[in-house]
Amino acid sequence: MKAYDIIIVGGGPGGYVAAIKASQLGSTVALVEADRIGGVCLNYGCIPTKTLLRSAKLYQDFLDAESFGIDIDPASGVKVNWKNLMKRKDAVVGKIVGGVELLVKHNKIDVYNGFGKAIDAHTVEIGEERITGKNLILATGSSVMLPDIPGIHEAYTKGQVIDSTGAINLPEQPKTITILGGGVIAVEFATLFNSLGTKVTIIQRSDAILKMVDEDVRNVMQKHLKETGVTIITNAALEKVEGSTVTYKVDGASHTLSADYILASLGRKPNLKGFESLGLEVGKQGVVVDQHMETSVKGVYAIGDMCGKMMLAHVASAEGIIAAEAIHGSKNVIDYHKVPSCIYSFPEVGAIGYTESEAREAGFDVGTSTFPLSANGKAVAEGETTGFVKIIHDKKYGEVIGVHIVASHATDMIAEAAVTMELEGTIYDIAKTVHPHPTLSEIVMEAAHGAVDKPIHIIKR
Amino acid sequence: MFHVKFADIGEGIHEGVLLKIFFNEGDEVKEGDSLFSLETDKVNAEIPSPVSGKLVKNKFTVGTKVNVGDVIVIVDDGVPGMRSNMQEGEVLTEEESQEPVTPKAVSQGDESDAHVEPVVEKGSTSVVGQIEISSDVIPSSGEANESAPEVDHNVRVLATPVARKMAKDLGVDIKKVKGTGPQGRVMKADIEAAAENVSSAPAKAAPSAGQSSAPRAYEKSSVAQQERTERVPMTMLRKTIAANMSLSKFTIPHTAVMDEIDVTDLVAFRNVSKEALESEGVKLTYLAFFIKAVVTGLKKYKGLNASLDESAEEIVYKHFYNIGIAVDTPDGLMVPVIKDADQKSIVELAKIIEDYSERARNKTLKLEELTGGSFTITNYGSVGASFGVPVIKHPEAGILGVGAIVKKPVVIDDAVVIRSILPVSLSFDHRIIDGADAGRFVGVLKKQLSNPNLLLLNA
Repeated sequence: MKAYDIIIVGGGPGGYVAAIKASQLGSTVALVEADRIGGVCLNYGCIPTKTLLRSAKLYQDFLDAESFGIDIDPASGVKVNWKNLMKRKDAVVGKIVGGVELLVKHNKIDVYNGFGKAIDAHTVEIGEERITGKNLILATGSSVMLPDIPGIHEAYTKGQVIDSTGAINLPEQPKTITILGGGVIAVEFATLFNSLGTKVTIIQRSDAILKMVDEDVRNVMQKHLKETGVTIITNAALEKVEGSTVTYKVDGASHTLSADYILASLGRKPNLKGFESLGLEVGKQGVVVDQHMETSVKGVYAIGDMCGKMMLAHVASAEGIIAAEAIHGSKNVIDYHKVPSCIYSFPEVGAIGYTESEAREAGFDVGTSTFPLSANGKAVAEGETTGFVKIIHDKKYGEVIGVHIVASHATDMIAEAAVTMELEGTIYDIAKTVHPHPTLSEIVMEAAHGAVDKPIHIIKR
Repeated sequence: MFHVKFADIGEGIHEGVLLKIFFNEGDEVKEGDSLFSLETDKVNAEIPSPVSGKLVKNKFTVGTKVNVGDVIVIVDDGVPGMRSNMQEGEVLTEEESQEPVTPKAVSQGDESDAHVEPVVEKGSTSVVGQIEISSDVIPSSGEANESAPEVDHNVRVLATPVARKMAKDLGVDIKKVKGTGPQGRVMKADIEAAAENVSSAPAKAAPSAGQSSAPRAYEKSSVAQQERTERVPMTMLRKTIAANMSLSKFTIPHTAVMDEIDVTDLVAFRNVSKEALESEGVKLTYLAFFIKAVVTGLKKYKGLNASLDESAEEIVYKHFYNIGIAVDTPDGLMVPVIKDADQKSIVELAKIIEDYSERARNKTLKLEELTGGSFTITNYGSVGASFGVPVIKHPEAGILGVGAIVKKPVVIDDAVVIRSILPVSLSFDHRIIDGADAGRFVGVLKKQLSNPNLLLLNA
């Protein structure tokens, strides 16, 4: 029975990062993974969807080429080649997963391919083999949650209802798709399929999509999706699923909607299989951990989606580092109010910290400032003027407590806000920071100027 | 690598302007070579290199404002590791042990050490008493920052913008706060914690103050807000004077002897000599004569030219006569020290007095000219006063106060005559010498000063 300092179960962005960090800190590490290294993020989530979204964007650009002074003759010759789309996606995923595998190997981490089952807090069984570790880090992530709607499980088994993993592996492009749920994944897939020419309908239980984002962001995104052809049905109660047809009720009236597929994105649940014997305390969101990611069982840590704090790859990675450091005696914590989150729609959304309403609820003396992309030179030049930045600050010291960006490259732009907030920066600091011209990043500076007094490049009364 | 820092040179000096840099980067420097000179609000100090080696970096340019603790020059002396002339470990032990500031290093070491040590770290300083030496950056006095309430950017404290603002708001000295962020960055939570400590401090501080030694054996008093009053922050020099006076008064049992000396002949002699010397550009003051008389007295009563080493329970007698002269300046009291006064003529002394007084007022005295005294003379007669009880310059053993010479009716051979009378007050450390010897010392002064011929013969 091989003995390690640390056994990590799950090789996603939480697990493999924790493994590399732990190895760098001097531990011997075993990494147990049933599938390919990289988890959902690299194999079925972040990376493949972004690859496909790139193609979708390119397709949109081709369709719009004429307005940029490029004629395609005949215009109808622009076509999506689904097979090659998938091929490129597989190549990108293969390349990145290969890179991570190389990293893991170079950090002298033993990878066990198989389903890891915890026998006790120090022993993990993979098939016939058992290994021991002084500490255990659980990082098995989450899977799609299907609500109890009549017929949905049968349809899922038959492949008529699909999850995000299924959605990136469709044999051919669907003509129509129904998306259940209005969260980030729903919006990203709505953007993807809609841009590629699939007719998309979002069915959302509550009164709006993207309930968790700042109201201004939500309004702009909802409006923009509708304008680009996505049908959004809100306040809908799902009644049943038959094949790829969904029945729902709005204002007491039943409707049915048929499509090639139904994409279920109604939330995710932690993967806890294999850890039953540990007796972990599990709460509503997932495995209960302290701020250093240690579970109720001493020496057993849990990170990432299975804790359910923020189901984001970069949070899993950050938590993985926290756990590895905690095991090595360095007790650090994550401030979840300073973790950025992204939506890869067209335009993108990058957000961090408090939304305006959250900030007011939390009791801050809230100040806000927005600046539109339409007043930004680069945005106009690129023809991507939908969007804005909104800075939320605490008036007492001007500390930036939330930044919300809608822009074509918002996901790259939000890092500036993350650094500012990590360093407890203020609106004065951002306003004073010279931003390069012409860039979209100027809008952040302009909004900060607006928060301090007045922006330069807009008439504010 | 040797980091030559702007070390605490006492005098309440916490910042200075880099006046001159003597070497370029890449130059070879020898131990003792002057590396740079600083202009402070009291003195100009030339800082010699503590080591020989190659000058790696001049961190500041001439004219820059620098603060105590800043690394000014880096010298590669071939010794591995990073060392500096502010040894924090030493200071820490001193602070932790909470020892009183004892006169452990009696002043003579200062000048001779100055060739090795870049700045005087221990030993006496000139403003009456000794200043605690620490590598902590002395908090800047309010008045310098009044117009610009921004944190002094030259003292680099790693802190977040919000932490800085909050510190200012809550009156927390951010330089004293230990940061818990990355690389010790001071975060707002650290300021919140520090502010809490401050507000709960008075209760805690009282017992510990009781344990600590004499200078702080009392609670800090506060004055209630009143109408028709104004509050002005103490200047750094004022604070230093306050600390030194308290130190002296709390540790030294002051006793005073007062007398009147008939200096009629001295006045006559001086008036004659004065005119003769004036043509040579020398301003002959009475002080030069007083110094001469004092030196004669000190040679006889050496307990007044001594220091008490409290921890060793030894009296340190000094075989040199470095006489401090208290000078009134617009900013406050300064005490330049005339070294080896016994080896100088009255004319030489007169020249030095004039030079030092002038330079004390325009702040161009050098540090070594402010340190190393063994006895002090204060001349309150210059403002017309007669008697005073001067405060001894810790850790010296005595200070002579001289009043204004006035014509008075006195009785000589049963006749009332008009004579020029000099009132004197001697404060002395009664732990070292007793009243009789102090009285005899005044007797020597009396004899010397009433008879200029005797004075000159002894000179």
